[in-house]
Amino acid sequence: MRALFLKAGATAITVVATVASALYVSSHLKNPSAPLQPSVLNANGNGSAVTALGGTVTVGPSVRPGNTQPVTSTYAS
Amino acid sequence: MPPESAIESHHFEALGTSCSLFSVGRPYDRLMEGELCVRRLGARFTRFSAESELSRLNASAGRWIAIGEEMEAMLRDALRAYEKSGGLVNIAVLGSMMAAGYTRPLSQGPTVAVLESARPLPALPDVLQVRDGGARLHPRAGLDLGGVAKGWMADRLCAWLGPNVLANLGGDLMARGDGPGCDGWPVGLGGVTVMLRDQGAATSSVRRRKWGAMHHLIDPRSGLPARTGVEEVSVVAATSFEAEVVAKTALLLGREAAPTYCAAHALAWWLGGSRDD
Repeated sequence: MRALFLKAGATAITVVATVASALYVSSHLKNPSAPLQPSVLNANGNGSAVTALGGTVTVGPSVRPGNTQPVTSTYAS
Repeated sequence: MPPESAIESHHFEALGTSCSLFSVGRPYDRLMEGELCVRRLGARFTRFSAESELSRLNASAGRWIAIGEEMEAMLRDALRAYEKSGGLVNIAVLGSMMAAGYTRPLSQGPTVAVLESARPLPALPDVLQVRDGGARLHPRAGLDLGGVAKGWMADRLCAWLGPNVLANLGGDLMARGDGPGCDGWPVGLGGVTVMLRDQGAATSSVRRRKWGAMHHLIDPRSGLPARTGVEEVSVVAATSFEAEVVAKTALLLGREAAPTYCAAHALAWWLGGSRDD
């Protein structure tokens, strides 16, 4: 009788933990404060956007915009 | 802010385009030697000379041939670019280039396009094999390095020139070191200035090397000049070669996917002038 009670208790605890975990995970698909954000999930908010001639320049955190005259440019050739 | 150091610069025409080399703390002679490097590599990588190393490979009729260290490295990186781009950056593009009329340097004018002969490109690993000191190309395949060689050469040249240099080969550029003001090299991208330090940039476009309804950027899925709704993409990445690969891939992916792809693979980017097709 005691063994049956322990089995039922362990089963109940397992089921409750599984359901609670599933509910938590499904309601927290993405944590905005997580340190490693896949940039593809954040395509519109990653980096700063600067409107330029004929389009928009998006600058990520590892590139710094400058305000000096460029010595050269990337261009189509 | 520390005072700006003097910049040495050297400008010349090579690879069918304009090239510029800049340095801080290196003698001008070093930049002149850099020009010689560009010309030497260009002569080996061009398809417009029957004596070039690339032309020998294209004419090798499926046999293993000996290649130099630089050609081997270039071809291995091209295979990596193919994998990384999901097959969109494919140097086995010579047949389509010829079909579109790009049979000789555009300074001599294009020839008549015969698009009926264009086919989707073969998978690069199926037609190109590389081993130490050698390469083998399928007899019905042909390579054109024009789409990736400039970025690759800019990276190599920067590593060779010195610790604080910038090499710009027709818009594919690599900036190495702290630049003249110790805050990076100021580089124009899409009309704004970005400060690059140990980073590369490149632009892929269908607006240049264009003749009539044809242009030089081939979509490997069709074997025809690409019409994806994006006309030009500029990208900053860890190297010039990587920037070239990302820019070309984004352009070929088209308007819907290009922003997301750039967000995942570029450090900065500019998408220019999309249009309906």
